[in-house]
Amino acid sequence: MRYFLLLILPVLAIFFQSTLFNSYSIKGTIPDIVLIFVVFYSLLNNSSKGAAYGFLCGLLEDLYMGRFIGINALSKALTAYAIGRLQGNVFKENILVGVIAVLMGTVINSLLLVGISLAVSDIYNIDAGLFISIFLQCVYNSIIAVPAYIWYYNSSHNGWLRNTGENLNESRQF
Amino acid sequence: MTSSDREDISGIEKMLRNLYTPLQSGVSEFRVNLGNFTTAFNNKKTLNDKIKTLEQENRRISLDNQILRENQAELKRLRDIVAFKEASLATYDLLPARVISRSPNNWYQTLVIDKGSNAGVKKGMTVITPKGLVGSVGSVGHNSAHINLITDREVAVGAILQENRDTSGIIEGRGDRTFLGMINVPYYSTVKKNNRVITSGLSLTFPKGIFIGTVSEITRERGGLLMSASVKPAVDFDKLEEVLIITDYHPVDDSEENMGE
Repeated sequence: MRYFLLLILPVLAIFFQSTLFNSYSIKGTIPDIVLIFVVFYSLLNNSSKGAAYGFLCGLLEDLYMGRFIGINALSKALTAYAIGRLQGNVFKENILVGVIAVLMGTVINSLLLVGISLAVSDIYNIDAGLFISIFLQCVYNSIIAVPAYIWYYNSSHNGWLRNTGENLNESRQF
Repeated sequence: MTSSDREDISGIEKMLRNLYTPLQSGVSEFRVNLGNFTTAFNNKKTLNDKIKTLEQENRRISLDNQILRENQAELKRLRDIVAFKEASLATYDLLPARVISRSPNNWYQTLVIDKGSNAGVKKGMTVITPKGLVGSVGSVGHNSAHINLITDREVAVGAILQENRDTSGIIEGRGDRTFLGMINVPYYSTVKKNNRVITSGLSLTFPKGIFIGTVSEITRERGGLLMSASVKPAVDFDKLEEVLIITDYHPVDDSEENMGE
């Protein structure tokens, strides 16, 4: 069930991002829910597992888009790795940690994407609008991160996302 | 990483799209039905007012149409005299398609439509609406196709002004659905606010003469040799529900044939 859920979450996230969230965008900016799940997974597991999961989720998004394959895979894997480094140094039961991780993840991921796009595309226009869009996405992602983290954290300790392979000693509720 | 100009998408990508397309079609169908449902509850007065304004507009447009018909007939006579042949919107084959979903992230400005290779859609075909240019087909699945909008950061279109044909420039997307940038406009050109911008046909991807938008702001670039302008797109990309695909425009093939001769 855990692996099924881990697989289906990014699939559903892409589906909702391409349909529902386009009707509820802030000035044309939509949240990146795939990234939120990747950040949470990385935060609650470790950086190398997070990087692998981030790579797979990013690859799924790339395959769906059908343009540059690898651009999201690369950026999400690196973002997840960076966020995973926090693991062990923070109190993960605090919602604020989840929100700040998502905020940091969004910034890192956005900058990586801009960097990679600049490196591989012939035309890529950078202007103030791009940074406004990144800022709006940070805000939107952080808002969604609050309920998402409560669910994700509880689920990975007591629910479907619980790691059955190794015993997690801590099973605290908010 | 893959290159941006590969010919076709891979089998896995097509499979993934076949999985997503029916789901997205369902959601889009549901939203249309929901819209119809709520219209039924709209009060009679608003509907009556709407009918009145539409009738007025209809009258005005029919009048315009008569004048234009007369002009077109005259144009045809004159063209016959000078044996001038040009493809125009009236001669293209148009395939209508419904928009079923949009880009899942902020980095690309794309649309997904419900027609794919099974309906004869090919990569690179121009997509328009009656109002103006939308973009071009980026990649094709069996029953769906992704359209790169002109507002996408990686899309550029050669453009001229409809009023004075000597002013040329390049329209580029800024990732924003409400405005486009027009760059490389020569300093001597007489571009004014509210000038109409149309495709120039020089970029080979898009046929000539498709309306893109109106100029909203003009700025002089540093150095003084070039100007740039902001263009308000004619199409409202937020409310796009149906698009038309031009299926029989192949400028590249034509030039290859000519080279062979």
